[in-house]
Amino acid sequence: MSENNAPPVNRMAITILSLAGFFVALYMLAHSLGWTGPLVCGVGDCATVQSSKYARIGPLPVPALGLVGYLLMLGTAFLGIQPRHRQATMVSRALVGLSTVALLFSGYLTYLEAYVIHAWCQWCVISAILATLIFIAALPEWKRLGGSDA
Amino acid sequence: MTKFYWVLGIVAVVGLAAVGYSVGSNTFGAAATEPVVVEGLDDPTQLMSLAQGITKGDANAPITIVEFADYSCPGCGQFALQIKPQMELQFVQSGIAKFVYYDFPLISIHPHSFLAARAARCADDQGRFWEYQDQLFRNQPAWAVKPSIEGDLMDFAGAVGLDEGAFEACVKSDAYADVVSANLRLAEELGIQQTPTLMISRGKGMARRLMSYDFPSIQSVIEDMLAEIEAEKAGTPPGN
Repeated sequence: MSENNAPPVNRMAITILSLAGFFVALYMLAHSLGWTGPLVCGVGDCATVQSSKYARIGPLPVPALGLVGYLLMLGTAFLGIQPRHRQATMVSRALVGLSTVALLFSGYLTYLEAYVIHAWCQWCVISAILATLIFIAALPEWKRLGGSDA
Repeated sequence: MTKFYWVLGIVAVVGLAAVGYSVGSNTFGAAATEPVVVEGLDDPTQLMSLAQGITKGDANAPITIVEFADYSCPGCGQFALQIKPQMELQFVQSGIAKFVYYDFPLISIHPHSFLAARAARCADDQGRFWEYQDQLFRNQPAWAVKPSIEGDLMDFAGAVGLDEGAFEACVKSDAYADVVSANLRLAEELGIQQTPTLMISRGKGMARRLMSYDFPSIQSVIEDMLAEIEAEKAGTPPGN
């Protein structure tokens, strides 16, 4: 295996981080749909955050958006690890776009917790940290944007 | 690459196990979610002692406002959030009236109402009934439609500062299933067919049942009763 064709470590990191984020979002979604007991919330005040009007966007629970976002990043990064897609510009574009949207959305939710709801939910914070790490892991994709589609 | 798949697999297994355990856990076990059989409910005297309202305001207030409500009923939520605060401000806090709340869980159409009513009474054990009730009504659109509400009930307990262990033990123990069942029976015996139903009395004569729960209707009945009380004190019939 040549150096150029080695699986990109950053995409492996994004895959693992996205999978972790997927389960965080799944847990929050299961709770918001009433499938679980109370949220495990050792730090912060999850109840206040989850019962606030900001926990939904219209009829959609916010964790549902997170679930879809993490799933898309997971799928894209995993695809980008496969030999035939490692050089694909589309993968880099998708990862740059998705990770940026995830970071901005997490920033918005963190702002709401800090300045509007005045309460913190540890799972939201964990998700925000994962989104930040995914964005950092996606930085090399900006350089790859000049590559050619496979 | 192999190491990557190992890490991915471990994250997947741990995540699935954690979420699966969380979904599979049933916080309240076999707690009563429906009315229970209570001895003596057929006897009106016993029924009156078994049914228990929760009172807010001066116990010696001349006017009594009684509400029969269901925590899942949208109208009850609207009354609790939009009209009751105004009513309390004007009549309860001023000592003119006391407010008494009775449960009327219509479980045939609202399957979580009985459990919610019991949970509110468990909150009353820790002196947080009204705060807990506020949480139930404020968040009603979200929890009332869920397949199970155990998580929400515990969340509300946390939000109002309850000792969650004691609260959970109370709800699990089926406490207050008899009281809520008695309240339900009382509502049925009174011929109440809708929620919320408001009844206003002044200690003498029949209570007046309101056909609507808007603030002007409540205000009008209370002002009439106050006029009657004043007239009685003055020894003249009201209106003269």
